[in-house]
Amino acid sequence: MDELSFRRTIYAEPNTTDPDIIQAANNDPAKQAFWDEVKAMDAQLAQAMNIPVPENFADKLILRQGMDEFTQKRKKRPWYVAMAASVAMVVGVSYMTLLAGNNGLANDVFAHVSHEYMNKEMTMGGKNVTQEAINEKMATFNGSLSEDIGEVVSANYCYLNTIKSLHMIIRGKTGLVNLFVVTDNKSKELEEDFSNDELIGTSFLLSSAKIIIVGDDKEDVSQLQLVAKNAFRF
Amino acid sequence: MFSRNKKPNLSVSTDMMKKQKRYEALVKAFHADIFRYAMWLIKDKAIAEDVVQETFLRAWKSLDSLKDQAAAKSWLITILRRENARRFERKQFDLVDIDDVVVADPHNFGDVTLEHRELRRIMSNLSEEYREPLMMQILMGFTGDEIAEQLNLNKNTVMTRLFRARNQIKEALLDEQPKGEQVNG
Repeated sequence: MDELSFRRTIYAEPNTTDPDIIQAANNDPAKQAFWDEVKAMDAQLAQAMNIPVPENFADKLILRQGMDEFTQKRKKRPWYVAMAASVAMVVGVSYMTLLAGNNGLANDVFAHVSHEYMNKEMTMGGKNVTQEAINEKMATFNGSLSEDIGEVVSANYCYLNTIKSLHMIIRGKTGLVNLFVVTDNKSKELEEDFSNDELIGTSFLLSSAKIIIVGDDKEDVSQLQLVAKNAFRF
Repeated sequence: MFSRNKKPNLSVSTDMMKKQKRYEALVKAFHADIFRYAMWLIKDKAIAEDVVQETFLRAWKSLDSLKDQAAAKSWLITILRRENARRFERKQFDLVDIDDVVVADPHNFGDVTLEHRELRRIMSNLSEEYREPLMMQILMGFTGDEIAEQLNLNKNTVMTRLFRARNQIKEALLDEQPKGEQVNG
């Protein structure tokens, strides 16, 4: 084996087990010395490569994987949780659409008749609204109030969801009664008579406008209905 | 409906424990070599630690694909090299040719003798195509064939690179000698 290929092989692979190389080294002390020298350099290199590893690095690697596993597990929710959630959502959505579809306007009316809301309205409106003040507001609906409809404690515009209305609170015999004026084309879905657990409502048409009367006393409501039919002109 | 799941769950958790044990064994056996390899590849301790963590995380995720325990070392190196390459894909703007920059601060590698410091400086100045196969051979104990497979080169090319790598180191050491004497003298 010539010198060059011997050196090349040793440089490329100091730990070679090639019998030709071993033979050549055995036959030539100079070659063996060269081989030993390269092996020594390799041993030095191996030591130099031996960089200290950060403290607790193995533990860190194991911990890191554990954390990854934990977050992955948390992401996996059982199928029945997803099922229950979607069932609940379908029920909720359909309940709301059914409710809104059936008597959306009536619900809005009831909301405006709640004690809390009425108190707010009355403090805003002041006491004893005059017929003149009501008529100013009635002009928006192209109508007027020509007769006395009782003691009006509040008269304010308010929105039944998106429908503009004039909300009057009138003192009846036993309590307060609410009267709403809305344009007819926006309130077609409202039934003539409607009610919930506490409140009774009725509505009737006066040419282009609809009058809605709501209260907790049936007599007060029908009494106001009779008066209102003659008192308003559109 | 729910009880049906219980029995498989038990065997799943024992499988998980087995996997966990296998993983821990893998970490303990190879983390030092893999870290050192990453250090020589990347030359930045923080980045090297990051890449090694990513490597083992990926190893954990695909541990089932490691059938042959004897191949674990080269399997990990394959993952490490891919993770390192992904680093450059992710951060295009960071693409400085690391060999052009003298990043390697010998002090970073820990306390060593002057001789080793010299060797480390020389090694980190080797171009990557020479340094990497040398690392695989000396640090990881790979054979020429294994290195060829890792680097996707033919064996003759690998052998030539290994030869040149040692040749360059030898020459650099000879060059350094007079300087060393000056410092000492």
